[in-house]
Amino acid sequence: MAMSLRFPQLLSQVESLGEIAARRAADAARKLPFAMQAIDEAKQIGAAELSDRIRRAGDRWRGAHLSEEAVDQVFDLPPHPAHLNVIGADGSQIHPDRHAAALYFLINVGSILIEQGTGKPPSPASEAAVFYDDDDLYGDTGELASAAWINAKRDVAEMEALARLAEDCLGQPTICLLDNGLLLWLALQAGDQHRKSVDRLLAEYLRQMSRIRTSGAAVAGFVDRPRSADVLGLLALVLTPRDEAAATDGSHPYRGLTDRALFADRLEPGQRSARFVDSSPVNRDFETAGHQIQFFYLNTGGAERIARVEIPGWVAEDPMKMDWVHAGIIEQCKTTGGFPYPLVRAHELAVVTGADRRAFETMIEGALIRRGLRPRLSQKAQTKRWTGSRRRHRL
Amino acid sequence: MNASQEPIGRVTRCSTRGFVGAVRLPEPDLPAFGAFCSVETQHGKTRVLGLIYDLSIEDDELARQMATADELSREQLADAQTNRQVPLEFSALTIGYARGGTFHYTLPPQPPLTLAAIYPLSESEIHNFTERFDFLTLIFGADRLPVDDLLGAAIRQASLTYPENQRQAYLIQAGRECARFMAADLNRLENLIRSLQI
Repeated sequence: MAMSLRFPQLLSQVESLGEIAARRAADAARKLPFAMQAIDEAKQIGAAELSDRIRRAGDRWRGAHLSEEAVDQVFDLPPHPAHLNVIGADGSQIHPDRHAAALYFLINVGSILIEQGTGKPPSPASEAAVFYDDDDLYGDTGELASAAWINAKRDVAEMEALARLAEDCLGQPTICLLDNGLLLWLALQAGDQHRKSVDRLLAEYLRQMSRIRTSGAAVAGFVDRPRSADVLGLLALVLTPRDEAAATDGSHPYRGLTDRALFADRLEPGQRSARFVDSSPVNRDFETAGHQIQFFYLNTGGAERIARVEIPGWVAEDPMKMDWVHAGIIEQCKTTGGFPYPLVRAHELAVVTGADRRAFETMIEGALIRRGLRPRLSQKAQTKRWTGSRRRHRL
Repeated sequence: MNASQEPIGRVTRCSTRGFVGAVRLPEPDLPAFGAFCSVETQHGKTRVLGLIYDLSIEDDELARQMATADELSREQLADAQTNRQVPLEFSALTIGYARGGTFHYTLPPQPPLTLAAIYPLSESEIHNFTERFDFLTLIFGADRLPVDDLLGAAIRQASLTYPENQRQAYLIQAGRECARFMAADLNRLENLIRSLQI
């Protein structure tokens, strides 16, 4: 098949991309020792003074807030419980397509329950739901559901799957894992126009987290290859003299570095960093509902080594649940190169392939035909099919 | 005829010369290399008879990654072997068909349909079908298959359907029949006869 990209045209741009990436890496390597040193200095300054500087930095400052654990603290891998239930959930979706035969969106959630220590085969499941009512498609504003809103609805469905399985494990040591952070980002992004429907989703999401809490299980969000620089934002205040903290404009001297690089040299395989509190505005809603989100960095021993793990405050403050999360994630990362096995499987169970989608659309077309309708793709979609299905001529 | 037996898999692809079946979790003994099996076609009027000549399990990147891991947990092992959608595939060579109570030692008129259930042949069916050595013809005619190993396995199985004191005679007769096909290659014949010796 002929390629659409004209590679000679891109050659010089690709070279430039490589050059800039190399320059960024060199710049980050130059800054890293200063950031490492700043962790030790942060300890000397003390938590009270750092908290004071955070307060003075004002609303524009972005960084991690302190937990009761010291900034430079490192925690060794705790022993794994003899029996630990590990639940993973992940979701995928088909967004509405106005060029398709019918307007709908679909969410499919894959989940798996592994009873670690029993030798039993895990229990996999996938659950799909299709949304086609006007209320689902258009919500309060009358606009077609956006990709961000559907993704948030999928996040709620993932949390619900975890809550349901956690309730099945009542009274047993259990951790629930999500393949992402725990904060519902839509809540942060939504403008006033969509506020009501977003608030409803957020409330539902928090309700599912509460179900997990009541079940006695722990919940954690696993962020692979995190790009965040929240701890570096905090360390920037170490350099900022007390009086200048108020003048901080949100940028910091470690721009270009990530927390991942910072902790890659500080944490041995299996070790975790201290906990920090996420300073995103949406975390206030979570805190109000009793689920303030904290995070720590963990050396999983895999190829990417450093992952960010997000947990609600009620897990953070329970040493036993913290040990389940810490030891449980490390155990589940052993065979899959540093990414938890239950999340690998949950993704496998959730993903809607091109073949799945085509089969589902054929089902929809059949349902429409049975009711006397004549399903038809838009002409644009039809022409895309024409050009996208070339066949090789065989002699 | 197969009501009392459990299927050993379902057809995933086929032709008149053979068929491929898939099964999620194999029993310890079924399917096995050289085993006789049958599958219905033509709305149940015909049963295609086959001989399993290959068993394979496809892998993927996750299976390869886990195979090299130092510490595979019991739960992950169980997950890989019972839950993940990696069926065992077995290929069968068509060696004849049954219709109206009669065995035919040629290719069937039609192949089975996709997802048709594949059953093991009972001991009495194997006995009746292999009484005539005509079943060897399609095995010898197979291209690019481990024909000698397949012959050895099939003949040994057929001999086991006879009382112990008659097995030797059956094997000798089978060896003679094979000699007719292998007259031009005495080394192959010798190896086959050696594999048939009790």
